[in-house]
Amino acid sequence: MNTSTSVTKRGLSLVAVAIAALALVGCAPAVTAPVTPTASDVWIKAVPELMDGMAMTGVFMTLENPTDEDIELVGATNTTEGLTEKPLETHEVVKNAAGEMVMQETEGGIVIPAQGSVTLKPGGYHVMYWDLLKPIPVGSTVTLTLEFSNGTTLDVEAVAREIANANETYDPEADAEGSTEMNH
Amino acid sequence: MSPHTPPKTDDSSRVSRRGFLLTAGVATGALAVGAVGVTAAVNNGTTGPAVAPGATEVVPFYGVHQAGIDTPPQSSGTFLGWTLKPGTDRETVRRMMRLLTDDAARLTQGEAALPDNDPYLATNPARLTATFGFGPGFFQKLGLSAEAPAGFAELPAFSIDKLQPEYSGGDLLIQLGSDDPLTLSHAVRQLTRTARSFATVAWSQSGFTRDQGTAPAGQTGRNLFGQVDGTVNPRRADEFAAQVWATGSPSWFDGGTSMVLRRIEMNLDTWDKLDEGAKELSVGRKLSNGAPLTGENEFDAPDLAAKDASGLHVIPTFAHMRRAKTDNPHEKFLRRPLNYDDGIHADGRTNAGLLFAAYMANIKTQYVPVQQRLSDLDLLNTWTTPIGSAVFALPPGCQAGGYIGEGLLA
Ligand code: HEM
Ligand SMILES: [Cu+2]
Repeated sequence: MNTSTSVTKRGLSLVAVAIAALALVGCAPAVTAPVTPTASDVWIKAVPELMDGMAMTGVFMTLENPTDEDIELVGATNTTEGLTEKPLETHEVVKNAAGEMVMQETEGGIVIPAQGSVTLKPGGYHVMYWDLLKPIPVGSTVTLTLEFSNGTTLDVEAVAREIANANETYDPEADAEGSTEMNH
Repeated sequence: MSPHTPPKTDDSSRVSRRGFLLTAGVATGALAVGAVGVTAAVNNGTTGPAVAPGATEVVPFYGVHQAGIDTPPQSSGTFLGWTLKPGTDRETVRRMMRLLTDDAARLTQGEAALPDNDPYLATNPARLTATFGFGPGFFQKLGLSAEAPAGFAELPAFSIDKLQPEYSGGDLLIQLGSDDPLTLSHAVRQLTRTARSFATVAWSQSGFTRDQGTAPAGQTGRNLFGQVDGTVNPRRADEFAAQVWATGSPSWFDGGTSMVLRRIEMNLDTWDKLDEGAKELSVGRKLSNGAPLTGENEFDAPDLAAKDASGLHVIPTFAHMRRAKTDNPHEKFLRRPLNYDDGIHADGRTNAGLLFAAYMANIKTQYVPVQQRLSDLDLLNTWTTPIGSAVFALPPGCQAGGYIGEGLLA
């Protein structure tokens, strides 16, 4: 997924927030406020030291959707001071044409099924941090805001944990740019 | 049952096995499922995927005291000693203890750690416990020496000691026990993954008692000398309160305990040269059932004054029991050791002994006098050699949301 799509999607989700807000103001008694999914066991792969100026990592968690309709995790914003200036992305891990497991930006976010849950974990969905400006020591915490398709947002705190895997290669979808070895 | 431990049929004990069974059933309902599985397998005569009742048994993690001390010993255990990395400060140690507590709270309840690349190895806790302790270096390195518990210090040197640095010392203790060796191994790995970001391994020592499924009910366990070991031990809550749990100052240590871990090599080859009578004299108890040489049954009170026809003490003056025994209520403690057997030396000698773990409120006043007496005279020293020694202060337990050691570190 390329950057412009990502920007568009984020733009859309902001519009959704705005509409939701308007709706609330406009006809409060008639409209029930959208339900925010819940997040548990939120953690981030620790980055004890920045390597080769190519520091990146992933955030993992379990998201639960108590409503009767699917909700997507469409984006996230870092709120940890000085950690990165790059926007966060929702990623998935897929098999590319060469048969390798690679990660790429999700198309349309990560679905949290109605009355169900989704677990973001190494080798699967994650929220991607790019271009870290400082290390994330084991046991430290990182804060971010999750953005959902129903316009709701959720502030979460991710505890940094050491783990050996979650090293998928980034494959910007057949782009000629080539792939980059990721360590998150 | 292990050496040095109460028989599990003791219903008066607040740490009885039955208590844990009830807790497990209430906490997870998993035990009931396991029991149903067993019944079904028996009824239809197949060997389906039944879960042994003990597999899902859970020991609560949160509480006034840490688990793994008054918990009846599990059949397998590992002690890990760690050295804090240079420059570790209090804030770093707080982070470490939060993570270790989180790992322990999950794994002991049969849940995968966060994260855990082998989550399917976490599902059979089998009474898994994880217990943490701080060594003398922990207090020194963090500038907390003034907060060390009363009587807490490295043991004095004893003339019997042949201590090896690779089994001695340590800033941080992680003690793990489970009735399932696979579960134990997984827990050791998970906690190691967390701890090694903050500390380096000083030593790792593993041991065992009898398999809980095959241990004779109601009998105290045996050590590798074949002795019934663990007869005299605190069992009731009031005995634990009097001997094991610290009270008073420093206040953060209220409900904690101190631990002495001695790696004691047992020379099974020279022990083999003795016949049964000579072996019994070395301790003053019968090998058959652990009864004192002056009694019939294991728990009979020994008669230290009794003499035989030739005027010699029936329980000899050099006997381990006589030397270790005390009427001083302030010199008693809990013994909860594991046997170790690390294979055979190249020359054919056994490499076996006891991971002698003792727990008491105050090392200096309760443990050292007994160890000094045994060092001065104890026939058992002929076949035993202390080759490792370490002491740790084990903080009290914590509640959900808290972490082990918070009273000291917060
Ligand atoms: C390899 C080393 C050791 C072996 C094989 C061993 C074995 C035994 C045995 C068979 C008993 C009698 C049964 C019982 O009450 O448990 C006993 C009792 C005892 N041992 Fe040990 N022991 C060892 C080391 C130690 C050490 C290092 C200490 C403490 C410094 C110690 C303290 C005691 C005490 C306090 C008793 C109970 C005495 C009483 O009140 O009757 N033992 N030990
Ligand atoms: Cu990614």
